[in-house]
Amino acid sequence: MNKYYPAALAILIILLAAFPAIGPEVYYLSFMFSVFMYVILASSWNFIGGYAGYLSFGHAAFFGIGAFATAKMATVFQLPPLLTMLASIPAGGIAALIALIVGYPCLKIRGPYFSVVTLCFAFVVDLAVKNIEYLGGAEGLWMKFMDLPEKTARTIMYEAMLLLMVITLAASWFLGRSRFGTGLTAIRSDEEVAETMAVPTAMLKIKAFVLSAFFPGVAGGLFAYYLGYIHADAVFSINISILIVLMAMFGGGGTWLGPIIGAVILTVVNEGLSTFAQAEIARIIYGGLFIVVTIFMPNGIIDFFRKRGG
Amino acid sequence: MDSTENVILSGKKITKRFGGLTALSEVDFDVRRGEIVGLIGPNGSGKTTLFNVISGIYDPENGDLFFGNRKITSMSPHKRACLGIGRTFQIVRPLAGLNLIENVATGVLYGREKKTGAREARERALEILSFTGLSDRASKLPGELILEDRKRLEIARALALHPELLLLDEVFAGLNKTEIGAAIDLTFRIREEYGTTIFMIEHVMKAIMSTCSRIIVLNFGIKLTEGSPDEVANHPEVISAYLGGAYAKC
Ligand SMILES: Nc1ncnc2c1ncn2[C@@H]1O[C@H](COP(=O)(O)OP(=O)(O)OP(=O)(O)O)[C@@H](O)[C@H]1O
Ligand SMILES: [Mg+2]
Repeated sequence: MNKYYPAALAILIILLAAFPAIGPEVYYLSFMFSVFMYVILASSWNFIGGYAGYLSFGHAAFFGIGAFATAKMATVFQLPPLLTMLASIPAGGIAALIALIVGYPCLKIRGPYFSVVTLCFAFVVDLAVKNIEYLGGAEGLWMKFMDLPEKTARTIMYEAMLLLMVITLAASWFLGRSRFGTGLTAIRSDEEVAETMAVPTAMLKIKAFVLSAFFPGVAGGLFAYYLGYIHADAVFSINISILIVLMAMFGGGGTWLGPIIGAVILTVVNEGLSTFAQAEIARIIYGGLFIVVTIFMPNGIIDFFRKRGG
Repeated sequence: MDSTENVILSGKKITKRFGGLTALSEVDFDVRRGEIVGLIGPNGSGKTTLFNVISGIYDPENGDLFFGNRKITSMSPHKRACLGIGRTFQIVRPLAGLNLIENVATGVLYGREKKTGAREARERALEILSFTGLSDRASKLPGELILEDRKRLEIARALALHPELLLLDEVFAGLNKTEIGAAIDLTFRIREEYGTTIFMIEHVMKAIMSTCSRIIVLNFGIKLTEGSPDEVANHPEVISAYLGGAYAKC
């Protein structure tokens, strides 16, 4: 590990934090906001999907739960802007709690049940929210946005998402080097052997899943507030769930850098697709990309290029 | 007081079925602290199944297991490993994708030594790898190793727990004469340096005869007999079980 690495990272973070100061168009602030958001989603997914190898196909659910919980808190308690943003933290806690309830029964057993359960769970949550009037139903929920000039408001949201990204990546960094991370990696490799090596597999998987739901929940809260209006389709889409898996795997699951690289590249691709292609076409392209990645680069592009480079 | 105080592992009437097949039938056994005990029997006689029951991979339908004076019959595998039961797998099962240091460090971090620091764990892992003669391959992946070294890695992974009891499942199988000599030597060194009690399944007679003070014989899931290597080797039922086994294979 290069000793300049931490310094380079620190400079990069400072540059990103200073970016709004050069007065970019709001479009670029929005774009960077979604890059940060997807880095958070992919890196959090990586805790359970990458390190432990338990693929969650419904991670958008936690993102959406955080979004709706924040929106609901903001409207019910008539929260002012700053408190609304902070409300996304307990909203992340709600997402984590729901992950515990969903994950506990299916992570106690080994194998693919988990992927199936997370996928179904995401559909159930989507349907539930659309049908519960209290959560906005088919209409969605409106939130009062900041009483500030647009650029200032966008800058505040940009900085908040950047901060959350830095915290998520710090957590991911420490996890990768910790006893916890080592245990998760052993689970991915051979869960039965891991057990015989004293790794409490069920416990670690549940912890990883809960943690992997928390950060997306908070990000969902910030996202909801950013839009000022939240509808189930914007957060519970299966496209988002698949995109998260794809980003982490494309970059390289079970590594710190992989999901970051994957999220950055695919957010750019996604932006292009959403401008030039219909949602159905985008879905076909993601599907194709998923197949290509799993067949040709099962360990992601970082590993692919590292091996090519010799 | 008496010999039961020295018993580290004991099984009472262990029965394990797979559908209609009774792989273990009311097997009673004891392993005493500091012993090297052999477990032999023809192919399919239930030896590996017994190890799987001891390490917690299978739950027995009947019977009880005690580790020291603790009942471990329905304890989860990781808890048993934490208490100090380490094992190897007959068909080697390294943590693929992790290098040798990482393989061993996992056990160091979670096993009896409960090291928490990554660096400390790596250092300990390196010591164990050099003890098992693998230090110059420490950064390799398990897939790059020859069979003898893969067997050594199995042992190193188990030793990482600093086990009180080590279950070795045919670590001598497939090795040549010199390699067997080295493995016998390693078995004795493990007991000396780690103070570990060893329970080993083995087909290689030379290895069994020269390491074990006591041998337990299984046949069709039933304990046939137990005794010193000489007693067992001259036991008429053991001889016929092996001959029968040999004929059955033809
Ligand atoms: N998971 C399982 N499911 C069904 N049957 C099993 C299972 N594991 C073992 N058996 C059966 O139980 C019996 C005992 O198998 P076991 O592996 O314990 O034999 P073994 O004594 O270790 O033989 P070997 O010397 O060939 O390793 C065999 O008939 C085997 O086919
Ligand atoms: Mg066997």
